[in-house]
Amino acid sequence: MKEKLSKEEVLHVADLARISLTEEEISKYQIELKELLNDVEKINEVKGYDDDILIACWENNTELRKDEAGEMLDPKEVVNNAPRHSGNYIEVPVVISEGEGA
Amino acid sequence: MYLNKSVKEINELLKKKKIKPIDLVEEAFQNIENNKELNAYITLNKEDAIKRAKELEDKEVDNILFGIPIAVKDNIITKGLRTTCASHILDNFIPIYNATVVEKLIEKNMIIIGKTNMDEFAMGSSSRTSYFGAPHNPWNKNKISGGSSGGSATTIAARDVLFALGSDTGGSIRQPASYTGIVGMKPTYGRISRFGLVAFASSLDQIGPMTTNVYNNALLLNAIVGKDEKDLTSVKKEEDFTRLIGKDITGLKIAVPNYFMSDIVNDEIISKVKDTIKVLEENGAIVDYVDVKYLENAVTLYQIIAMSEASSNLARFDGIRYGYSYENPENIEDVYLKTRALGFGEEVKRRIMVGSYLLSGENAKIYYNKALSIREDMRKALKEVFNNYDLIIGPTTTTTAYNLDDPMDDPRKTFMDDVLVIPVNMAGLPGLNLPIGFDKNNMPIGMQIIGNSFEEAKIYQLASYLEKKLNLNLDPNGGENNE
Repeated sequence: MKEKLSKEEVLHVADLARISLTEEEISKYQIELKELLNDVEKINEVKGYDDDILIACWENNTELRKDEAGEMLDPKEVVNNAPRHSGNYIEVPVVISEGEGA
Repeated sequence: MYLNKSVKEINELLKKKKIKPIDLVEEAFQNIENNKELNAYITLNKEDAIKRAKELEDKEVDNILFGIPIAVKDNIITKGLRTTCASHILDNFIPIYNATVVEKLIEKNMIIIGKTNMDEFAMGSSSRTSYFGAPHNPWNKNKISGGSSGGSATTIAARDVLFALGSDTGGSIRQPASYTGIVGMKPTYGRISRFGLVAFASSLDQIGPMTTNVYNNALLLNAIVGKDEKDLTSVKKEEDFTRLIGKDITGLKIAVPNYFMSDIVNDEIISKVKDTIKVLEENGAIVDYVDVKYLENAVTLYQIIAMSEASSNLARFDGIRYGYSYENPENIEDVYLKTRALGFGEEVKRRIMVGSYLLSGENAKIYYNKALSIREDMRKALKEVFNNYDLIIGPTTTTTAYNLDDPMDDPRKTFMDDVLVIPVNMAGLPGLNLPIGFDKNNMPIGMQIIGNSFEEAKIYQLASYLEKKLNLNLDPNGGENNE
């Protein structure tokens, strides 16, 4: 039998990633995520490396731009891209339900 | 037929007013229509491209790329033109500004013809994770075109257009270029602004040119490099990348990492690369086999770094500001959870989940920080080679293109396809795929040429030399070889 993550472990990573899963998906990911995580474990077999880290390959000193206000996007266009909007506002559903509020 | 001519010839014809940009645009759309079943495009830019072509009729032909059609990968945003990243979550997304590279194409008066198919959010190696179905390889329609820039590779290989842009995070330009017999360059990290490239793994991502030949590739690179205030990592360096094309290779010192020629690579490919090495040696280049540490860890590093960065970058797709949003949410949590569940495909979800796990709590130290340390060592090991050598070469892929209907049930396969192309991204180096022959089934075989940082011109020197020597017919329909 293939190695598996527990159902709880899959639900935990799905929660971290903000993705809801069906029962069918949960059983699939129990196997698939385990395979990937086993792969990733190989990092612990690498020996003899230094502690210096490389975040990204910047060979030149990066030059920061001046902190000045530049051209801005038209708020109307930005808001129009939102699935739910009204006037210059983006609409969202209830954030805090009844009883949850302070 | 003009798009089978050289860019110089087309430029002359335009200058002499013997043809107009609209002739090129119409021809490109006709080609795309004839090759419709290849599924290279997600969105065509027909109306706007025709309008642009007409506008250009009154303009002076001011540069060699003037009026020439170009295809753009669908993770590079285009104002007013749908940009989907081949995902359901963005299938209705119309950007309100252009990526910097797109602005540069417009400055050169190139004409964007459409947005090419790809793996969803560039995650995959066969373009089969596309929400819009996979592109087909022009050399054999039952085979994959590779990925993630599979649509760009397909439309170039099919000779629909002469120029395309792709993006390369872990081989996504070079690997499909190898599978389809075209030239694809991943430039040095920082060469090209990533502003407007939908981020997958920001420390690895780079936009690059995909073309039918080496000279065109260098021309397109000329047009898109440079410092951009909107991308802190972009670098102020400009040069003519065609300047070493046609130069002799006598005395050029070339290293071949032993790992690249080990038993992970298919025999036919090894033997083709060895034949090519012989050609180099016969023509005065010095070729040595070398050991480069850490190359065998590339896939593991990539899995950790790319999935971690992806989980963070893709957090922005939440159903609130743009793109698809779940229709009947009960509350805001419901919007996030269900939009992402229904909007992302399998591969993307898998990677985001693993990435989130790798970055959570103590895991960041155990996996992510460790990967960054080994990444630095890998970079040093590769840079050391350049103390003694001008270039590194090896096969681009371990096999040629496989069947479209091969199973997709192994989540590790898509990473292993890129084992030879990932180290270049890890070290921020430039790398190019050059077609060097065919396997027994007439599928293209590619060689990877890797240079030191900012030495793309030297890569083009070697690539153009070999291109001329090998003189392959790279048109899948058998047409004349275009120079």
